[in-house]
Amino acid sequence: MKKLLLAGLLALSTSVWAQTKPEDVKTFTLANGMKFLVLEDGSIPNANMYLFYKVGSRNEHPGITGLSHFFEHMMFNGSKKFGPKLFDRTMEFNGGSNNAYTTQNVTVYTDWFPASAMETIFDLEADRIASLSIDPKMVQSERGVVSSEKSTGLENSPWEQLSELISATAFTEHSYHWPVVGYQTDIDNWTKEDLERYFKTYYAPNNCVVVVSGNVKLADVKRLADKYMAPIPAQTPPPPVHLKEPEQVGERRVMLKKQLPAPNLLMGYHVPEAKNDDYYALSILSDVLSSGNSSRLYTSLVDQKQIATMVSSDYSESFDPTLFMIYGSVAKTAKEADVEKAIDTEIEKIKKDGVTPRELQKIKNQKLVELYKQLETINGKANSLGTYEVYFGDYKKMFDAPAAFNKVTVADIQRVANKYFTKNNRTIGVAKTELD
Amino acid sequence: MKIFSIKTIGLLVSGLTLTMAAVSQTAFKLPAYEKYQLPNGLTVYLMEQHEVPLISFSAILPAGAINDADKHGLASLTAAGLQYGTRSYTKAQIEEQLDYIGADLNTRATKEFTAISAKFATKDIDKALPIIGEVMSAPTFPATEFEKEKTRTLALLEQDKQSPRRVIGSYWDHFIYGDQAYGNSISGSPASVGKLTAADLKAFYQANYAPEGSAIAIAGDFDTKLMKLKLGRMFSTWKKSGIAQKASAPVAVAAPTEARVLLVNKEDARETTFYIGGLGIQRNNPDFVAIDVVNTLFGGRFTSMLNDELRVNSGLTYGASSRFAPLKNSGTFYITTFTANKTTAPTLEKAVEVLNKLHKDGIDEQSLASAKNYVKGQFPPGYETSGQLAGLLTQMFWYGFNESFINNFQANVDKLDLAGAKAIIAKYYPKDKLQFVMIGKAAEVKPIAQKYGKVTEKQIKEDGF
Repeated sequence: MKKLLLAGLLALSTSVWAQTKPEDVKTFTLANGMKFLVLEDGSIPNANMYLFYKVGSRNEHPGITGLSHFFEHMMFNGSKKFGPKLFDRTMEFNGGSNNAYTTQNVTVYTDWFPASAMETIFDLEADRIASLSIDPKMVQSERGVVSSEKSTGLENSPWEQLSELISATAFTEHSYHWPVVGYQTDIDNWTKEDLERYFKTYYAPNNCVVVVSGNVKLADVKRLADKYMAPIPAQTPPPPVHLKEPEQVGERRVMLKKQLPAPNLLMGYHVPEAKNDDYYALSILSDVLSSGNSSRLYTSLVDQKQIATMVSSDYSESFDPTLFMIYGSVAKTAKEADVEKAIDTEIEKIKKDGVTPRELQKIKNQKLVELYKQLETINGKANSLGTYEVYFGDYKKMFDAPAAFNKVTVADIQRVANKYFTKNNRTIGVAKTELD
Repeated sequence: MKIFSIKTIGLLVSGLTLTMAAVSQTAFKLPAYEKYQLPNGLTVYLMEQHEVPLISFSAILPAGAINDADKHGLASLTAAGLQYGTRSYTKAQIEEQLDYIGADLNTRATKEFTAISAKFATKDIDKALPIIGEVMSAPTFPATEFEKEKTRTLALLEQDKQSPRRVIGSYWDHFIYGDQAYGNSISGSPASVGKLTAADLKAFYQANYAPEGSAIAIAGDFDTKLMKLKLGRMFSTWKKSGIAQKASAPVAVAAPTEARVLLVNKEDARETTFYIGGLGIQRNNPDFVAIDVVNTLFGGRFTSMLNDELRVNSGLTYGASSRFAPLKNSGTFYITTFTANKTTAPTLEKAVEVLNKLHKDGIDEQSLASAKNYVKGQFPPGYETSGQLAGLLTQMFWYGFNESFINNFQANVDKLDLAGAKAIIAKYYPKDKLQFVMIGKAAEVKPIAQKYGKVTEKQIKEDGF
């Protein structure tokens, strides 16, 4: 689980933004619909390029589950000008490195390179978007790689299976139902035609936002974008995901038999997407519950009652309504029911009495330092700008986030707690060695 | 939500413990800093960096797992225990006051030393520094808090054994270094941690946390003159310990005399996780930079020989890499990968084959040029933030290198030629008498293990490593 960005910050004097101001971010959109955000920053002789494609496992359906993630792999396996292996070899020869990740919502490609190599990076990225090769031999070998990735996650993470089960249970109709990596049987069986269709639909310039930051000049980025990206034709926009999860009308419980020294408990509450007005209050609520050892859940469950060895919560950005997750590792001397009850008690307290003004201020202060940390690196800047552009609809929202968080009141926190933290709206899962 | 990372999963990081890479086209120089000593002997590094209103603090103290003697886990718990209360602050006060200003404070032990790091906003300097100062110089180790931590630690130690990736390093170190100090696991085991008391922590602190053997580095948005005044006050009550600075160096480790395999049985394993290798290098090895370049090629990046063969060509694994893990007075080298139970034999075979190929065929001009460009190009982001720079300064103190490491990095990379690379391979990469650690389902993979050397079998559920 990895938070993609600072969730936000608080309103402050403009001095906070001394280094990066909204007007420092330049944008342009090519005729084919590909949008660019450019931030010049000469603090190190390096630059990056982040390409956010608006495609993730939410765009899939049974039969091709995991295809978004598989594509993320195939994008490195050869295109017209740069054949198999040449994408990475060329990039590394030029001093660059790269990575990519897939979520339920997006697929993001990240390139980090000496600024002087920018043209090569454009050449590489454009070639694979314009003319990717889908070689059956490569597809076959990559199935093995992805199977190993799926398996190593299951082998090494005590939470992976349980969180997959929670999503599968909480979402009965919406495509957040299946895991990002996909079902093994789909990994083994999707066809070349499935891949070709997917590529044409989603890897279109009009479905992509590109962020470039670092020791570059806007004029150079524009020139290279015109040269390499502009000739790639736009495609019909992808069909919108019309699936909507019906309101949950009853608590759901699932059990997982898994070798563990002590049980793990996971709760998921349906909550809205990033563009919803309640996003900021819920994000603060998550931190009130679990950010730092002075947080509500840590203080009560881990420190005072000592019934859990770890608690955390997670509320991440998403396009569609998602889950607010609460994790607890049960102490040897306790039972999962004790942990569940104690979490409920803490939530009920907030529903009834709200949070203290000092607690709220604490989280706002934490959000601010998180912002500073993002702005420390060119990669933090690129990732944050792209994330706000994609999830919140406008990169400028990154600069508005301080005000948005600062507007949240004690009453707002109490209101969202009462609105979303209801029994009927949740799914609870327990993983343990021996089931009763 | 769930993120699947195609390439980096912690295994595929380049080369060496310190972030290595090299200077790009423009020569990258370490920014100016000041170094001095307080009357109590504490070494101080100060580096002003005004890009963002943050300050990073880093400290290094000669108190690592190598100082645990038979109380494995003691350095680690003592480091954690620094935050359980001090002369003026309770644990709850430390946490609430630091959380309130959004400050981070980490205190942890490594194999050789204890590292403290903190980050806070410039405006909160007078709230954060006094707490950090007392955490270092006046911890009280209250028994109530220690007992709670011990219980949590015991639970975590058990959880760790569920994840081969989290424990294979401890098995490896013990297998290679044996019963001498570098073989100590940092975490300890349920049996060793179970016996520890708050009094052990106090005694360990008194015996090892000496200002005269330690250093702090502060980098970020502050004024050096004012900072010096603050630090003088902050550490005025931390007295010279008078502890004789013991050589923390364990004796040199003898090279293995035969091929050996440690097979750790995990009954429910769906895959086998490996380390393959032998002895490596010390951090002060004069060939450090050259070794990093060669290892980048062999197993330190996506197109490396290992990842190319095991992942890209054959689809046997999600990732394969190699690493030198240098310490002050010793070090190991290992190849690491993982694969499904049923593909264990071909994966092991190929990993060894790629190592043999490195010795037999060496590397070519084009690959060497690529590796040199790569380490230089990836270098600057390793020293971009105040936290990275503060960390570098304390590393310089500990390992005894200076800014020439940064400032001459590009030149040192550039001067490596094919003959030099060939010599590096012959000198530093193990060729025979390979050592193997495998965590997996013994019933299925033991016959494979036996082909590679004398097998010792352990159960993952057994105490320790």
